[in-house]
Amino acid sequence: MGEKNLVEKGVSMAVDLGGVRMQNPVNTASGTFAFGSVFEDFFDVSRLGAITLKGCSAEPWSGNPAPRMCEVPSGMMNTVGLANPGVVGMVEQYGEYLAGLEGRGCRVIVQAAGHSVEEYVAAVELIEELCPWASGVEMNISCPNIARGGVLVGGTPESAAEVVRAVRPRVHRPLLVKMAPVRVPEIARACEAEGADALSLINTINGMSIDVRTRRSRLSKPTGGVSGPAIHAIAVRMVWEAAQAVKIPINGMGGIATWRDAAEMILAGATSVTVGTANFYDPTCAADIVDGLASWAAEQGVTDINELIGAFEC
Amino acid sequence: MSAGLDVHGFTVVSNEPVADGLMRIVLRAPELAAALAPGQFVNIHVPGDASQVLRIPLSFSCADAEAGTVEIVYAVVGDGTRRLSEMAAGETSTAVGPCGNPWPSVAGARRACVVAGGVGVTPIVACARMLAASGVAFDAVVGAQTAGRLWGTDVLEGLGAGAVAVTTDDGTAGRRGFTTDALADLLAAGDYDVVYTCGPEVMMAGVARLCREAGVACRVSMERMMCCGFGACGTCNVAMADGTYKSCCKDGPVFDAEEVAW
Repeated sequence: MGEKNLVEKGVSMAVDLGGVRMQNPVNTASGTFAFGSVFEDFFDVSRLGAITLKGCSAEPWSGNPAPRMCEVPSGMMNTVGLANPGVVGMVEQYGEYLAGLEGRGCRVIVQAAGHSVEEYVAAVELIEELCPWASGVEMNISCPNIARGGVLVGGTPESAAEVVRAVRPRVHRPLLVKMAPVRVPEIARACEAEGADALSLINTINGMSIDVRTRRSRLSKPTGGVSGPAIHAIAVRMVWEAAQAVKIPINGMGGIATWRDAAEMILAGATSVTVGTANFYDPTCAADIVDGLASWAAEQGVTDINELIGAFEC
Repeated sequence: MSAGLDVHGFTVVSNEPVADGLMRIVLRAPELAAALAPGQFVNIHVPGDASQVLRIPLSFSCADAEAGTVEIVYAVVGDGTRRLSEMAAGETSTAVGPCGNPWPSVAGARRACVVAGGVGVTPIVACARMLAASGVAFDAVVGAQTAGRLWGTDVLEGLGAGAVAVTTDDGTAGRRGFTTDALADLLAAGDYDVVYTCGPEVMMAGVARLCREAGVACRVSMERMMCCGFGACGTCNVAMADGTYKSCCKDGPVFDAEEVAW
């Protein structure tokens, strides 16, 4: 159990993401993989190193009105608004499947969503109680804080530290922090100082798309999160900056659609590589990236994928 | 989810205009053709432009399991469908599907009416095939902006439609006006057990209202902007009358008209 795929093509692929022991570095991004089960139609999900669940709050959230997405060059924008069934609803619907997936060797990371410190605490307390099977908890601190006029919860080192400080004592397993793509080195250091075990970055980058005939937003809100290949180069740079700033491992994401994109992230300093938007249009790509990375590592002449983490040469 | 959901390879058999702004593409994809049921849809990758990463969700008009082909009549509305219209016979790509749920058969239904507006005619033709195959008598209303943009009336007649009422916005074919004008007359005269409709949302809202007034069940096929088509992205929400949202791809695209917040 849990040890298959450790060696592929003569390369040991296992990585340790702050205590989340993954059989290979490939993970899926929250909000792009639902709760995993729907992808079993496309491939054996247990081939992945980990999956990260859609963010769940203590109470169910209905999310934003339609339209929630639009296409932009080399990517898309969304304003889903963290629609989710709540931790209790998620466990009722998917708990058995997810416990089974852990047993099949793929780590499950539960993401906690909130709009305030109190909501994050409520979400992680429920996760601790109801998700004994989960290997890790990821805090999504790139949400607008409703109580503070919609500013990002994790938009400053001080506010990021406040959330991590509040939840850290309540999370008795590896704690990942999903950062907003702003002030990366400072916020990364603040999260590390408060006891985060790993950092996930980047989240979507706030963008805007206007229909020039109607003069209206192409989404139901004025702005939305840009994702996909369009943001990949920015994400690689931010992962590299974070990796320079902290000692804890980095879960790198942003526009990864191929093994080459994933390999770039590893060289920039990511311990794990997380596939997001590409799951929507190429639903087998995460599994394909496992194979591609192993071939790349073998071609690079290493016997352990860990030798390539941060191996970027200036 | 849908039985047989997968990424299916396809080869273009033919792709030609059938009306102003409407094209018909026939894909050879035997497994997909066998898995599809009327009312479901597919999510197609159009190759050739790396800057357009998302697939195009499209309803189909005919899935022929014996021939191994899927026929899709689509409107050319943006860059993606324009590039699709340029795919030639022999070219290959992939389609994710089957996506969504089929048109439900209504237990005990003997007589139905199908109402199509614009390119909404595509899943309505698939619906008519389902009705014809199960021996349910049906009438049809087909609406378009102009005579030149009409497609499907001969297909519906060929499938055994009792009456095919045509409406155009400008009166260049059939009755000048909207599909709801023609449906109101048919509902007054007919004894339908169920109405199936697909078209612009404002039209379907009108069809739903007429059916509610007449006490006839109504099934609507909704359209939303979406990414994946299989329940992962959470972007294709449809507002329900009870204040909740449902997913167009996972819970729909076919809904009971009474469920939907018009």
